[in-house]
Amino acid sequence: MVEADERILLDWDALEVGETFDSYEYVLTQEMIDTYRKGVMDSEASFPTISHKVDVKQYNARYQDAGSVNARCAFHCYNPPVAGKRITVRAWIADKYLRRGKNYIVTEAVSVDEDGRLIDRVITHELKQPTEVGKKWGG
Amino acid sequence: MGGLNRSYTVDDELPPLVKEMTQEAINLFEGSAGDSGPSQFTDEETARETLGTEGTVASGRMSLSFAIELLRRYFGSDVYNHTGTVDLRFLRPVRPGDTITFTGRITGVSREVNGSRVSVEIKAENQRGDTTGAGQGSAVVPNAYLPSEE
Repeated sequence: MVEADERILLDWDALEVGETFDSYEYVLTQEMIDTYRKGVMDSEASFPTISHKVDVKQYNARYQDAGSVNARCAFHCYNPPVAGKRITVRAWIADKYLRRGKNYIVTEAVSVDEDGRLIDRVITHELKQPTEVGKKWGG
Repeated sequence: MGGLNRSYTVDDELPPLVKEMTQEAINLFEGSAGDSGPSQFTDEETARETLGTEGTVASGRMSLSFAIELLRRYFGSDVYNHTGTVDLRFLRPVRPGDTITFTGRITGVSREVNGSRVSVEIKAENQRGDTTGAGQGSAVVPNAYLPSEE
């Protein structure tokens, strides 16, 4: 049986900057770290949290939209995460803006591990009309 | 014990970083977070439907990871992993088969309480010379690592 999608259909105009999502928790395993390092071809890559896309995870859990394309991403390194630790992520809507007729949403997230170590901060600007990107890129 | 005793000057260039993009690498990156479903990154049909592109593209977060690697290799893990920043705009798609070269150039050095913030301009280009990403990064190099002021 297919589960009903209970997410809210995104109303960009109604979306409030500052809206904070429920905390998200996960355990970062050594396997996740190893797989990330293979993917980015860097045996010393220290922030495998990047591939978890934690800043948009809770947004995507709450809202249904036409998809998105990452237009810009900022990352602040504080302390590399440690395998086996539970990581708690707090994420919120940091901004939204209209540029050249296209809607963007900015999400921000901070990750902290179970010992209270600050791990990283990520800020992402997502374009909410992804097919516009395909047109621009020429297929 | 002394530090690395490095000096940083505006217009210094970072050693470039070259990445050969493959679908396997993209799949590993996406799978490393436990995402196994089809996406615009891993499935051509989903990419066509979502983006209108002919094939898959790499997540911008892969380019973000490469920019971080460029800076970490330059500043050292002990510095960059605790003070580093990067802010990258994704200008063109990165696709499987692309060769992406990341370059950096120091644009500023400013004193902070515990060291000097070294700012870097970052650019990513594919094998055709198209800019796929551009932005800035920085790290705070501790005073102990810097030459003493005269």
